[in-house]
Order: sequence, then structure tokens, then C-alpha cells
Amino acid sequence: MPARRLRSRSLRKVFRKVPGGDTHLHYKKQKPQPAKCGNCGTSLKGVPREFPFRMRKMPKTFKRPERPYGGVLCSKCMRMKILEKSRQ
Amino acid sequence: MIEIGRLCVKLAGRDAGKKALIIDILDDKFVLIDGETRRRRCNILHLEPLTQVVKIKKNSSHEEVAEALKEIGVEARVTKPKPKTQKPRTKRKTPEQLREQKQEKKKLLGLFKPKAKKAEAKQETTLEEKAGLGVKETKPAGKKESKPKKPAAKKEK
Repeated sequence: MPARRLRSRSLRKVFRKVPGGDTHLHYKKQKPQPAKCGNCGTSLKGVPREFPFRMRKMPKTFKRPERPYGGVLCSKCMRMKILEKSRQ
Repeated sequence: MIEIGRLCVKLAGRDAGKKALIIDILDDKFVLIDGETRRRRCNILHLEPLTQVVKIKKNSSHEEVAEALKEIGVEARVTKPKPKTQKPRTKRKTPEQLREQKQEKKKLLGLFKPKAKKAEAKQETTLEEKAGLGVKETKPAGKKESKPKKPAAKKEK
């Protein structure tokens, strides 16, 4: 029976092989949800799914693609937006 | 639609949303562009052609493109030339400077020596103290000797 505080689903369970050969159950913090496109809602590529403290350490170019609306819109939605602007 | 001098908007990459002129047609897929964007090869699918067409030569330079774009009202990309930085060269020390360096080092050595002597002196004192403690220790030993006497007396009782 696990400890009472570990019985919630806010922690994820990880099976780890220990040096003795047994598998032990470790409880780990869950990662935040992946970043989503502001228009269509698909998960964004090139945006890492990391804890905020780890994101703070990373340089700016590691955290988003280097293009207009990078890290906000997906590439398809960005193209549509630019097309609409150019045709006005 | 795709011809030399056609004004386009780039749709993909870091230059997306910027206007450029087609300078050269390389292939049935690729063209050479220049203007607000960097001068580069580009896929036709990544370009949105606009209505305006400018008269320019094939493979014209960036300055010519910039002039042509000024008439339309588009400012071409300007790159600042990097200033050449001179690396500081390390100079060899003259023999006089080396002698001075040696003397300074010797001075520093002289500073450190007396401290070491002090430490030795301290150690000596500590040893003496220890010796004194040893003398004191002997006294409790004498007490210990006295202690067993009492229980012996009790036993006698």
C-alpha cells in the first residue's frame, strides 16, 4: 500500500530498475501540457515540453521557431494569416 | 505569374511576411529572390505573387533591386557591415621586466616564510600544553588508584 499522499493522480508513476534487480515504483511530478496553436489548437512543434524552471534556463531560440508568430501559431495558420494580409 | 521582376510575399521561414522581387528563375521549382528578405533561393510554393511587376535585369545586384523597390515604396534589407575588431596581441616581456617579476616573487616568498615559523612555534606551545595535560592526566590516574581502594574497603565491610 503506497503512502496516503502518493495515492492521488497528480503524480505520475515510473517503474525503475534498481541495482538489486527489482523494479521499484517512483513517483514523479507531471510535465505541463504541450503548447497549442492559438488558432486551430494543434500542439506546436519546436516548443519543448519542459518545467518552467528548465524553460527559464534555456535561451530564447531553443523555445520557439524563428519565424513570425513562432511559438503562438502553427506554420499552416501562420501562412494563412500572411496570405490574408497580402490579398487585402 | 512567376517571372523576373514580379513582386512576391514570402510565406515560409524566418523571412515570412516580407516582400521580395524575383531575380532569376533557376528551375521549374526554384527561383532567386531579393528585397526585404535575404538574397536566396526559394521554392515557388513558398511565394505568394502580387500584382506589381518591376523592370529589372536578370541576376541584378542588391543595390539595383533596392532602387527598383524604392519606386514601389518598399524598403530593401540593409545589412550593417561588421566593424573589424583587432585582437590584442600579447607582447614578449623584456629581460628587465622579467627581472622585476622575479624580485616581486622573491618578496612574496619572504612574506610567507615568517607565517610558517609562527605556525611551528604554535605547534611547540601546543606540545608543551599537551605535556602539561599529560601531567594533569596523571593526577586523575592517581584518583583512579584511590577509587578502587574504597570499594575494596566496602568489600571489607
